Amino acid sequence: MNSSVKKVLVACGTGIATSTVVVERVKKLLADNGIKADVEQIKISEAKGKQDNADLIVSTTILPTTYEIPTVIATGYISGMNAEQIDQKIINILQ
Amino acid sequence: MQTLINVVNYILNLGPTAILPIAMLIIGLIFGTGFKKAFKSGIIIGIGFVGINLVIGLLSDSLGAAAQAMIDNFGIQLTIIDAGWPASAAAAWSMPISALLIPILLLVNLAMIVLKLTKTLNVDIWNYWHMIAAGATGYIVTGNNIWFGILCAVIYEIVILVVADRTQPYVEEFFGLEGLTFPTGSPIGFALIGVPIAWLVGKVPGISKLNADSEAIQKRFGILGEPMMIGLILGMTIGLLGGYDVGAAFQVGISMGAVMLLMPRMVKILMEGLIPISEAAREFMNKRFPGRDLFIGVDGALAVGHPGILSTSLLLVPITILLAVIVPGNGVLPFGDLVGITFFVVFVVAKSNGNIIQSVITGTLMMIITLWLATDFATVHTEMMVGSGFNFPEGAAQITSLTTGGNPLNWLILKFAELYQSLFG
Repeated sequence: MNSSVKKVLVACGTGIATSTVVVERVKKLLADNGIKADVEQIKISEAKGKQDNADLIVSTTILPTTYEIPTVIATGYISGMNAEQIDQKIINILQ
Repeated sequence: MQTLINVVNYILNLGPTAILPIAMLIIGLIFGTGFKKAFKSGIIIGIGFVGINLVIGLLSDSLGAAAQAMIDNFGIQLTIIDAGWPASAAAAWSMPISALLIPILLLVNLAMIVLKLTKTLNVDIWNYWHMIAAGATGYIVTGNNIWFGILCAVIYEIVILVVADRTQPYVEEFFGLEGLTFPTGSPIGFALIGVPIAWLVGKVPGISKLNADSEAIQKRFGILGEPMMIGLILGMTIGLLGGYDVGAAFQVGISMGAVMLLMPRMVKILMEGLIPISEAAREFMNKRFPGRDLFIGVDGALAVGHPGILSTSLLLVPITILLAVIVPGNGVLPFGDLVGITFFVVFVVAKSNGNIIQSVITGTLMMIITLWLATDFATVHTEMMVGSGFNFPEGAAQITSLTTGGNPLNWLILKFAELYQSLFG
């Protein structure tokens, strides 16, 4: 089992709005599942520059470009639809 | 009974930093968040408000003085400072009427669903602030008529929900977000003029053949998307235009970079406080309508990652600044809301089918109108900010925002209120 600390980028359009909600949720999700991770809140436009040091991008907005690391679209956290599926996706990628 | 009235008056006179926490506590309790959570929410919201107040003070002290110097030096008459959506949102939330409006607006949404007037279930409590701002507009113009204020907010909500339903095809097909709508003040309000203009621009022969590469634009102009860079550059420029020496101009630049970075952080605090209440409200709504054929209304921010939107809004930053200087009849110094342009063009880009050239031309025409509207809104907007307890030095410039002051829907409410006041006031 991989025990290194993962790095998760939580992005939204502005870096302060919808991502605030998601950061809390992601932190709790990872803690509940025993995944050690460092969660950073960013604007989606910053993601490209930060992907080298990260393991996953969780975004609440549409992705403006393609990335070299896995991405999860988390709009479901905001609308309340399919939130558990998103939880599962994140866990699968990081475990 | 008299004691109760005295207590209420005492609290109201303490101002928003006291009213907000108490009001949010009550709302939290009503929605069942439990006392501890509701109390903490209220305190965090109050603190966020204090934080925003601090930053606005910095903005008006530093930029206000420089803008004034700019007039003296250059005759560039831009004394209405655009404080941006964070300030406008905070002001809206701090109006006493805001706590009252949360349950009212929720009920109106539910009623509209039951009456089949809308299919949107708006769970985005944070963005209620746009409707509250409309309510505050009505309240202020009529000299504190609460009922009229509530009426304005409700009218605003009805328009938002109906137009949100109409624009749902864009959300689903263009943005790929199934089952969602954007009943958010900025995308919808600006769509009212943006979509028709985009349609017109699209009729110009040859436009659809031109396009621009969004990746290239993001790369070259990316720095314009960095708020603190915008603040630094703009602040320095204004300082220099105001006749400041390089050192002093740099100081203005750094202060403005600080405003751009700190303001959203303070708003984040306010938002955090609102989350438990927002989630409780969402559960309340969902319990009433399980599994119905409804659209979930969410924050338009979910679309702003779209490359067309990112690129268009990046290009519109320098364009808007230029327009502010050359457009006759404009008194607004665009600043805090340059980053808000992203939200204005959501449906413009959708209508233009992602064509950046078409979007930018449309955006330019739209921003001209926005600047005029924001100029016209300045007096009432400033009053709204002052009334929510923000401190301005005496004789300072007026304040506006592009998100509220420049928003066609908010402006229409302003005119409605002014009409009402002139007929019945």
